[in-house]
Amino acid sequence: METFLNIVIVGLLLGGIYGLVSMGLNLIFGVVRIVNFAQGELVMLGMYGAYLSWYLLGLDPYLSALVVVPCLFVLGVIIQRFVLQPLQNEPSMQIFATFGLLILFQNIVLAITRGTGYSVHSEVSRVVLSFEDINISLSRLIVLIMVILVAVGANWFLHSTMYGKAVRAVTQDRRSARLMGINVELAFMLTFGVGSALAGLAGVLLAPIYTLSPQIGGNFILAAFAVVVLGGLGSVWGAFFGGFIIGLIEAFAGYYLNPELKHAIWFLVFIAVLIVRPGGLFGIAGAEEVGLREQD
Amino acid sequence: MNKTDGQAMPAALAGNGATMRPKVTTFGTELGRIGAIGVFFAIFIVLFRGDPFILNMMAYTFLFAALSTSWNIIGGFGGQFSLGHGVFFAIGAYTTANLYFHWQISPWLSLVPGMILAAMVAVAVSWPTFRLKGPFFAIATLALNEVALVLATYFDGITGGPRGMLLPFKAGLENMVFTSRLPYAVIMFGFLLVSLVAAAWVLRGRLGYYLQAVHLDEDAARAAGIDVLKVKLTGMAVSAALTGIGGSLFAMYLRFVDPPTVLSIQDIGVKFLLIALIGGVGTLYGPLLGALLIIPLESYLRATLGGTIPGINLLILGGLLVIFALFMRRGIFGAMQGLWERRRGARQ
Amino acid sequence: MSGFVLSVENLTRRFGGLVAVNDVSFQLRKGDLLSIIGPNGAGKTTMFNLVTGQYPPSAGRVIFNGADISGLRPHARAKLGLGRTFQISKTLTTLTTLENAMVGAFLKRQNLSEAADYAMHVLDMVGLGARAGIKAGTLTLSERRRLEIARALALDCSVLLLDEVMAGLNQKEGESVIDLVRKLNGEGLTIMVIEHNLKVVRAFQSRVIVLDFGRLIADGTPDDVLSDPHVVEAYLGRQDA
Repeated sequence: METFLNIVIVGLLLGGIYGLVSMGLNLIFGVVRIVNFAQGELVMLGMYGAYLSWYLLGLDPYLSALVVVPCLFVLGVIIQRFVLQPLQNEPSMQIFATFGLLILFQNIVLAITRGTGYSVHSEVSRVVLSFEDINISLSRLIVLIMVILVAVGANWFLHSTMYGKAVRAVTQDRRSARLMGINVELAFMLTFGVGSALAGLAGVLLAPIYTLSPQIGGNFILAAFAVVVLGGLGSVWGAFFGGFIIGLIEAFAGYYLNPELKHAIWFLVFIAVLIVRPGGLFGIAGAEEVGLREQD
Repeated sequence: MNKTDGQAMPAALAGNGATMRPKVTTFGTELGRIGAIGVFFAIFIVLFRGDPFILNMMAYTFLFAALSTSWNIIGGFGGQFSLGHGVFFAIGAYTTANLYFHWQISPWLSLVPGMILAAMVAVAVSWPTFRLKGPFFAIATLALNEVALVLATYFDGITGGPRGMLLPFKAGLENMVFTSRLPYAVIMFGFLLVSLVAAAWVLRGRLGYYLQAVHLDEDAARAAGIDVLKVKLTGMAVSAALTGIGGSLFAMYLRFVDPPTVLSIQDIGVKFLLIALIGGVGTLYGPLLGALLIIPLESYLRATLGGTIPGINLLILGGLLVIFALFMRRGIFGAMQGLWERRRGARQ
Repeated sequence: MSGFVLSVENLTRRFGGLVAVNDVSFQLRKGDLLSIIGPNGAGKTTMFNLVTGQYPPSAGRVIFNGADISGLRPHARAKLGLGRTFQISKTLTTLTTLENAMVGAFLKRQNLSEAADYAMHVLDMVGLGARAGIKAGTLTLSERRRLEIARALALDCSVLLLDEVMAGLNQKEGESVIDLVRKLNGEGLTIMVIEHNLKVVRAFQSRVIVLDFGRLIADGTPDDVLSDPHVVEAYLGRQDA
């Protein structure tokens, strides 16, 4: 029984990580209708940002969010403005371009760090909470709390603020939104910025948990894709619960089968969901097609 | 011959009188062009037959030109941006490596099971994933490649796991193992010709038109009586089978196969697509042109700067990918075609 | 047996709570020219898509040449001889005009030059022969409409369904397309037209059915139908409302 409980907790904590990583991807997809293949690399940049803030400014990784998150916001705005906006009506070129960014970011970091693995230390990451046989590391718990806050915050923002309503209007019908006087291009830039900032936040929070490597984004992007496909593209709660589902599947598969096979198991779940419910468990059916169709 | 019942179109309807039909490029025309390209490169091989460095470069260039040409059949003509062609490449490589390693079966013979297996796996995994469009199809194929990497590492009985498989050196034509680089360059050249002929045969026939129709508008394709899924699967099977051949040849050239090499997303799967983009996605000779530029550039970068700046070759490739997506969507070949068409239009 | 080429029986399609097409039945004989009219949102295009197989029906059947085709997918229906055009024209823009028509012609012809010859033949038929060599993306709207008709004709279709082929055309272009449709019909092709514009329907002077809120509310000659008070009400709204 304790084993079972332990696995559930491991799974939930992992799910928090995956959920957090997916939030930005899902937001960008939901609003801008772009699948950002470079999202994992934005997380990776956030992790290195945390390292750099610690190395240069002596900031605790958790405090470095104050620097890293705004930087990634700006980076996101730049990407949207100069790379993706010109490709608005070119879905296949968007794939090329964001994949190009993936390769570019990864190898810039590789070229600078020469492949040395770094790790980031925080006082917080040493704390482990123990309840009888169950151990929970504080840094993972913080991620879990943060994903809940982000999900609740994003939901509140989208449904209860004027800006959020404007963003949803853009999502539903670009042309009408434009007629209503909403600056669609600006909304997209800000959304991409926020999506990128969320990736940065995820990077900062994950920096104390993982060893940094230029390729680490690859782990996150596949998990994030699995999460959003499972949970439903463009749905905040979809990413939230999708993260936990993937986390739990991974934890159980890791314990009962073999930890090395986790990707294969995600993929099977992923394919099964695509066949049974192409829109994901929480998404709108057909969303995967809407993603391609130009709305103007 | 197919004047079925109640057909609408009596010839008398051709009211405006018959106009001269514009020429349609045929498979025969393309064979002539491929022949000319073949002669050109054959001379090149003869000229540099004694230079192992250039021969090695040529072998890689021809191999990747052929692989990108194969990817282009489904990725370019059919518009299905697979990032998972590394899987079919790996299937070819492991089939040949295993048959040679365990049973000393000649790689020439094992090309065939490698092709068939690659095509079968391609059809099986594409069946569900072809429900997805555009970026979602790309994601699914990316995930597929990752799964293959995990499985290849895990099932070490077949793949040698992370240690890889080192194939014994027994020189001889029947083993496809040679002491000189020249035969490899020739073999890769042969593969390039085979893939160009296959791609031309597809493009200049019914399947090519159907793939392009599916690419451009699936609803219109359906209205024209095209079974969209069947066309995509057929294109994918042809493309994967050719990619499988490439994997087999690659395994014999390196005489070493390990999962991170043959299933590398950046060095294998994405490279097919990158080469095609730079040369011209969906054009018959674009991938060849792309490979002629990219592979030598990459080897040069790796040789000169690779030691001091790791990842420099990929860094440049990533940058090129973004730049071409932004400014040269039709690739070099497409841009040249556009220029030529404009000039011809101006003259008329 | 019944002598009908196409017969729609109690066709119904629901989208969630909305009944887009509600228990509609009508028949087409060989050589008919039938217009379907109705106000926006009356279910005309849904009706079309049910006949061509874009969606499966919620209830009812579509019988084509005596066979129930309700369960067939669009491409299979096209193979049997149902040709169609789209309201928002779907030309394959990066292929030439000839190649667009060839995509249709390949259905019954394997060989490249045979398909090209036949494609050229249908292009001449719709008056696009001179434009065969140019990219379809550069054609005008009315030429694209003709090209879609050509692509359907290249299938050797026995029934042609036209979805608002006149929409967006100026009067002259519209008239020339009307002439084309009448010419094709005069040669024995069975044609079903969706039209929004009542003038066009009058020009055809053939049978009309009227849909309103998914129901078939009238069926007859243009003069009868257009003077029917239900139809007037559907189009203009109730006088006293």
